[in-house]
Amino acid sequence: MTPVQALDFIRVLPEIVLASCAILVMVAEPFVSARHTAALAWVSLIGIVAAGAGNAWMRRFSGPAFGGSIAADPFASYFVYLLLLAAALTLLGSVRYLETNQVHHGEFYALLLLGTTGACLMVAATELIMIFIGLEISSISTYILAGFRRADKRSNEACLKYFLLGSFATAFLLYGIAFIYGLTGTTNLVQLSEKLSAPGARPPLLWIALILAFVGLGFKVSTVPFHIWTPDVYQGAPAPVTAFLSVAPKAAAFAVILRVFLGGLASAGALVFWLLWISALLTMCLGNLAALWQTNIKRLLAYSAIAHAGYVLVGMAAAKAAGPEAGEGIASVLFYLAAYALMNVAAFILVAHLAGAGERYQEADDCTGLAYQRPGVAACLTLLLVSLSGFPATAGFFAKFYVFRAAIHAHLIGLTLVAVLNSVVAVYYYLRVVVAMYMREGNPRASASPLPWPLGAALALSLVGIFYLGLFPTPFVRLANLAASPLP
Amino acid sequence: MVILFYIAAIVAILAALGVVLQKTPVYSALLLIVVLCSLAVIYLLLGAEFIAFIQVIVYAGAIMVLFVLVIMLLNARRETPGQGSRMARWLGGPLLVVFLAEIVLAAWRQFPGAASPPPLNAGPAAIGQLLFRSYVLPFEVTSILILVAILGAVVLAKKS
Amino acid sequence: MNFFHTHVLSIVLFFPLAGLIPLLFIPGENKNALRWWANIVFLADFLLALLLVFWFGKEPAQEGLFKFVEKHTWIPSIGAQYHLGIDGISFLLIMLTLVLGFLSVLSSWTAIQERVKEYYAMFLLLQVGMLGVFMSLDFFLFYVFWEVMLVPMYFIIGVWGGPRKLYAAIKFFLYTLAGSVLMLLGILTLYFRYHRDTGVYTFNLLDLMQHANSWPLELQFWVFWAFMIGFAIKVPMFPFHTWLPDAHVEAPTAGSVILAGVLLKMGTYGFIRFSLPLLPQASSNPKVVKIMVTLSIIAIIYGALVSLMQRDMKKLIAYSSVSHLGFCTLGIFALNPHGLSGSVIQQINHGISTGALFLIVGLIYERRHTREIAELGGLSNVMPVYATLFMIVMLSSIGLPLLNGFIGEFTILQGAFEVNWRWAAWAVVGIVLGAAYLLWLYQRTMFGPCDNPKNQVLKDLNLREAMTLIPLILWAFWIGLYPKPFFKVLEQPVTAIVERVNPGFGTQQAVSQAGVPSPVSEVTGGRGE
Repeated sequence: MTPVQALDFIRVLPEIVLASCAILVMVAEPFVSARHTAALAWVSLIGIVAAGAGNAWMRRFSGPAFGGSIAADPFASYFVYLLLLAAALTLLGSVRYLETNQVHHGEFYALLLLGTTGACLMVAATELIMIFIGLEISSISTYILAGFRRADKRSNEACLKYFLLGSFATAFLLYGIAFIYGLTGTTNLVQLSEKLSAPGARPPLLWIALILAFVGLGFKVSTVPFHIWTPDVYQGAPAPVTAFLSVAPKAAAFAVILRVFLGGLASAGALVFWLLWISALLTMCLGNLAALWQTNIKRLLAYSAIAHAGYVLVGMAAAKAAGPEAGEGIASVLFYLAAYALMNVAAFILVAHLAGAGERYQEADDCTGLAYQRPGVAACLTLLLVSLSGFPATAGFFAKFYVFRAAIHAHLIGLTLVAVLNSVVAVYYYLRVVVAMYMREGNPRASASPLPWPLGAALALSLVGIFYLGLFPTPFVRLANLAASPLP
Repeated sequence: MVILFYIAAIVAILAALGVVLQKTPVYSALLLIVVLCSLAVIYLLLGAEFIAFIQVIVYAGAIMVLFVLVIMLLNARRETPGQGSRMARWLGGPLLVVFLAEIVLAAWRQFPGAASPPPLNAGPAAIGQLLFRSYVLPFEVTSILILVAILGAVVLAKKS
Repeated sequence: MNFFHTHVLSIVLFFPLAGLIPLLFIPGENKNALRWWANIVFLADFLLALLLVFWFGKEPAQEGLFKFVEKHTWIPSIGAQYHLGIDGISFLLIMLTLVLGFLSVLSSWTAIQERVKEYYAMFLLLQVGMLGVFMSLDFFLFYVFWEVMLVPMYFIIGVWGGPRKLYAAIKFFLYTLAGSVLMLLGILTLYFRYHRDTGVYTFNLLDLMQHANSWPLELQFWVFWAFMIGFAIKVPMFPFHTWLPDAHVEAPTAGSVILAGVLLKMGTYGFIRFSLPLLPQASSNPKVVKIMVTLSIIAIIYGALVSLMQRDMKKLIAYSSVSHLGFCTLGIFALNPHGLSGSVIQQINHGISTGALFLIVGLIYERRHTREIAELGGLSNVMPVYATLFMIVMLSSIGLPLLNGFIGEFTILQGAFEVNWRWAAWAVVGIVLGAAYLLWLYQRTMFGPCDNPKNQVLKDLNLREAMTLIPLILWAFWIGLYPKPFFKVLEQPVTAIVERVNPGFGTQQAVSQAGVPSPVSEVTGGRGE
């Protein structure tokens, strides 16, 4: 066991930068006059960009750090970029929102950054305890963020519900980790994979550990049947928080699922495959079917987020089924998550704007006729929804295509067929908002004020990204393939 | 030894059930102390004296005192039992029982006799080595976790 | 000029998209500027494509029978390419698309008063999608265009449509989408099969075709049905047609024209371009042929019978499309040169005639705001020009000799007859019924006393309105009187496809083959059996 070296710290550079920036924002807040609180947002943004730069620089020093607790590998690096992107977009989308809703700036940004830090630790962790602590950091930050609109009952409800159910789920994960440690004597994923793949090593009771861990992580990514909290929390939480919540902790939890179930516990084949297969099936179908009945846009997008988790699980099942050639499936999952992050964050921050002060206008009907008052905003939301429903030329299409391709390659024809039909059904509810905006007569109740420029910038960035990923996905596919190589 | 283990384990389980089922918060807190103490006994039986004492001093001593204090400060009364969802009662309860029974059964089948565990090297030195060498990062990062928790407490409790 | 020549397809394809950008900067209140601009873009794109007409004959085929090929890597990791190219079949359909695109935009000058900018923007997007479908030689690229085109059409029906527009739009959208995702699964199956055979990932149609014969029959069947559902919904073939009347009736005139004129052809084009060459054994399997032909004949007769019952002019024409497209699919699955080339010609004819019929209905709807046949009557007294043009179009749709419909239907029947005389006999019933419902429609609306006071004050067509119909009528006469150039363009690709699906056909039917370049001579010269 070598003592800690400078290299160890370099390998967690993005996390260090983010945490320091969060503390800086927190400490600086009392000294910033009320009129200039937006400055805190820019400090946070600089922090995120710096963390991204650190992540880029770190590439030359990849390897495990802190005695194998964490690893700086392309996989982690990919997810760190993704999480930083989600955080940056959320930040840009929340500057004006915080002003109109009178929310404390300093703590909001600090918690956002700390939540991102936790998620970054999760994706880089190669050790179960580290994963658990990262998960707790990101979860607790988001629990609090969900309750930020304290005057609002639904926000309180969201906070409490998320907290209680979330803690319950983390307990499951912890129980699972305890079982794994008890059975194998290690929590390190690399050692775990070595021990389990040794001939004759099939520890009894491993299936209990697997199921427990899957329940805990399944809650975070809201797979059916652990999705009950999702619609209420997504609806009640402040919309920019929902944007973050629906992407960052989810993507991080998916990264953990990949690392644990396809990395460390890879030798436990059939059970993991069927877990993924069944969750994928249930999650897609229930998410989409439930979304069909929603009229509240936030709730609709919440169910759509559940459905998207289902498609991601299809990719994972494909990776699991492909055995040694899991790279293709994993790459498809990574690509999907990137596309999902762009679309979902953008959609929620735009909804945050439309809902107006106090988030009063969240119904699809509130957008009636919006297209003729604010053609740009309506077109933007339409493009996002079109991308979410998976139409060609957008990121959503290529992401789905890539996942389905992997699934068919792994001979999961039935599951792919279900997924494909699900994506047809999904179009119906996405179009509900489009119908309201374009095809009904009337005046919109939703906020028709012009877009504030930070939000505009975030949306422009997302749309460019969506079309770039949709039309020229090659560089990103390459990146995803690179990231998919070093599991665990 | 084995008998002592079973006594401690059963006490822990019963007390834990009591924590959940009690309607008066103070009783729950006191029962939690019982749980923690019986866990300490199990640590002792495993040969981890240091952890056992830390368990008693930190949890049963410091943290639970704070708990009880807060409960008294808030002047928490008996809870009025809510209706509870019917689904939780008729589906959740049985499922939970089945699940636990399954784990116990599986464990029982796997390890029929109670074998005494090998002695642990769990002295302060060994723990220090683990905390500051192998697990130094999780250990340090926990400080961020605590920071987040404090921040949350401030945000949610602050007057707006 | 050289660059222009080698990239002519891309230029024609993306010209409307380029035209869209300035359009977005024209203020929405300035409706006439928007109209002028959109019309100019469409006309210019058509004129650009006229170069293709001059070059097409001289241009040597580059890959297979495809000309003007452009090929660039696009997404190498999955093997998708930017790969364009046209043969005679796609060439004709592209020209049809450009003509109908321009005319439908021209016809919307006064019909569309609300949200003008969005309207033209959607048409420009739609045009790109449609052209892309006919030009793509890469399956992935094809699928992208195929799907992209749905969105603007959805908006066109949903925003500018009639009273039940929302229902019609979503029905159109979901039906077509459901079909196309199944098609996507079929595409992926072939793609992986090719990879298994060769170790290469490609969506290149020509590469896939080279391996097509080695694919086992069972695989071909599965993929055939996946494709079939996708294409049959688009055509629409008999059990999948229910979206069509709704979409047609609710869509604005120009939307109906494009829907009938071009979108439906994508289904038949899909059969010709993909199903037949890629799955030759499945497509020529007697059972499959039997099913497809039966469905076609049902469509022909059922469409015609339902048309007879309609009270709404637009719905009548919509159901007549089902009937006419039945001829096209019948021709395809006759699997011989006559059937296939007749089918393509009939697709063009249907675009011309039915497109024109929808324009005619649109003209009267703009004046009277009704399409009820009972509301109209004796219009030939007040609108003589309109009545004349209507008559020519109607006769062309019926299939009167000297006009285009005759050539198409006759060649298809000939093709069907060569395989099984019963098919032709059933299809003839459709022609008779077709004459019945169209003549009856004409009689009820144009002849008789003009006793409704609202109808007595109707104005005849102005120049712009007449100009939307005259090019189509001229084209109809051209095909009717001198179809040789069309058959000539089709000859090579059609023979190649038949050769794939029905190998050895050429030797069996050598006698009848001899006449292919000039079916007109055959019409007089007999079938050679």
